[in-house]
Amino acid sequence: MTRSIRLAMGQALIEQRSFWRSAEYALFTFAFPLMILLLIGAANVGSYLPGTHIKNTTVFVPGILAFGVIVAAYVNLGSKVAVLRHDGVLKRIKTTPLPSGAYLGGLLASTVATAMLLTAGTGLIGWLAFGAVPRPGGLLTLAAGLVLGIVCFASLGLAISSVITSAESAGPVTYASFLPIAIISGVFDPTFGGLPAWLSHVVDLFPVKSLAQVLQGAYAVRPFPAWDLANLGLWTAAGAAFAVWRFRWHS
Amino acid sequence: MTDRVAVQVCDLRMNYGATQVLCGVDFEVRYGEVFCLLGPNGAGKTTTLEILEGFRRPTAGTVRVLGLDPAAQAARLRERAGMVLQECGFPRQARVAELIDLWRTYYPNPRPLCDLLEVVELAEARNTQVRKLSVGQRRRLDFALALAGDPDLVFLDEPTTGFDPEARRRCWAAIENLRRLGKTVLLTTHYLDEAERLADRIAILRSGRIELTGTTQEVAVLAGLATRISFTTPAALRRGQIPLPDGIDLAVRGSESVCHSGNPGMTLRLLLDWALQHSLGDLDGLAVTAPSLEDTYLQLTGART
Repeated sequence: MTRSIRLAMGQALIEQRSFWRSAEYALFTFAFPLMILLLIGAANVGSYLPGTHIKNTTVFVPGILAFGVIVAAYVNLGSKVAVLRHDGVLKRIKTTPLPSGAYLGGLLASTVATAMLLTAGTGLIGWLAFGAVPRPGGLLTLAAGLVLGIVCFASLGLAISSVITSAESAGPVTYASFLPIAIISGVFDPTFGGLPAWLSHVVDLFPVKSLAQVLQGAYAVRPFPAWDLANLGLWTAAGAAFAVWRFRWHS
Repeated sequence: MTDRVAVQVCDLRMNYGATQVLCGVDFEVRYGEVFCLLGPNGAGKTTTLEILEGFRRPTAGTVRVLGLDPAAQAARLRERAGMVLQECGFPRQARVAELIDLWRTYYPNPRPLCDLLEVVELAEARNTQVRKLSVGQRRRLDFALALAGDPDLVFLDEPTTGFDPEARRRCWAAIENLRRLGKTVLLTTHYLDEAERLADRIAILRSGRIELTGTTQEVAVLAGLATRISFTTPAALRRGQIPLPDGIDLAVRGSESVCHSGNPGMTLRLLLDWALQHSLGDLDGLAVTAPSLEDTYLQLTGART
């Protein structure tokens, strides 16, 4: 067991090293959410949510936290595993005595590290640039939301990696499968509204909006997000089940 | 290593649906030898190897690799057997030495890094990014990773397919280095020169059956191919002043006389006695040519009429 953990940590370290070595991955993963944070955040400075004393940025910053978690866990892990499978790296791993759990554990640990770094960066910039900080009473919600969000979107990332058929489509498929939902979930626009009622209900079913709402509850006073937490749990279970069912070591 | 043989294959059968891919394959690989499974594409070489590597369960037959059952004891086998698959990628951002070092952590008793770099001649490329390596260098990195755990046995599936001559030569050198380290090597190939050059023993696999097993010479004899003996036709013979030798099917083709024999020693003795008898001295231009693997292979696979 300790050997597996040691191997997983070694794997995670080398994954991190190659992540930061690859301009394409690192820049896209970090620059995209942080750029959106600064640009759209700037446009919301001084505005309040209609009929409230809540600043737009107080809701917008945690929305981008959710976006960052999704990019780091879902997009990054999903496309990474798809590429590893397509390139035959997963197959090569199977020729070694490295336990499968140690290898996948290493990939997940590296994903968690990336997500935490991105979260820290987003939170810090949100605080320094827009003065958005979590409520003292919201820290537990924040922690729970981040952990559940990372686990949920990592399992969905593993799941989608199995339906990606080529290395070239890995990035486009992972982005295209969540970006539209993120937009109509209001992640990029705190005042977003006006969806037809049925569509709004459909959006509520997706984990993107649930994660955003949980994290927003850590910044602004909201009712306890029971449905959102349950929904994230359901998506985690569904994602993990699909990932286990469809996981292949070769393309 | 209580077993005498590193790999034992008995009556191995494999069906994919209704198609019989292997129909009773038998062979043994001894410790320390380079054994080559030679055959045309589609003969079942890769399937055989995948069964031995524990990736596929055979339909029937028994297989022991280093005394283990590959399908049931895959994890233990992988600690002691290195595998080079036909086509297998590397992590995109990795560097050569870093990747080998990572692979070394997977094994209980890894070989030293500098040793591995030397065996596969990649010492100068140690800090190169993997994606910048040439095809031949990538293959040698495959070898290094397969050797990282200091295995007793190395599987090589078509190691030089599609290589230019220089890349092949260096790849062969790396395989020779494996032999020097005392590793048992089981390689598949459809290149005759590769088998002839590298293998201690060869098994010719065709349509899911082993046609012949042995050294290059043994295989030729088993295939019924004869050694060619030729010499410059003596003037007296050409002018018909002396009789043809008895018991030899000698063909006089102008300036060259040729015969084929399954027992070249005996034939040479008869030939030299005959030469002595007729004062021909040592026969000029005497040449004894063992049948090549190519002759054997072409005869077996029916490519030659």
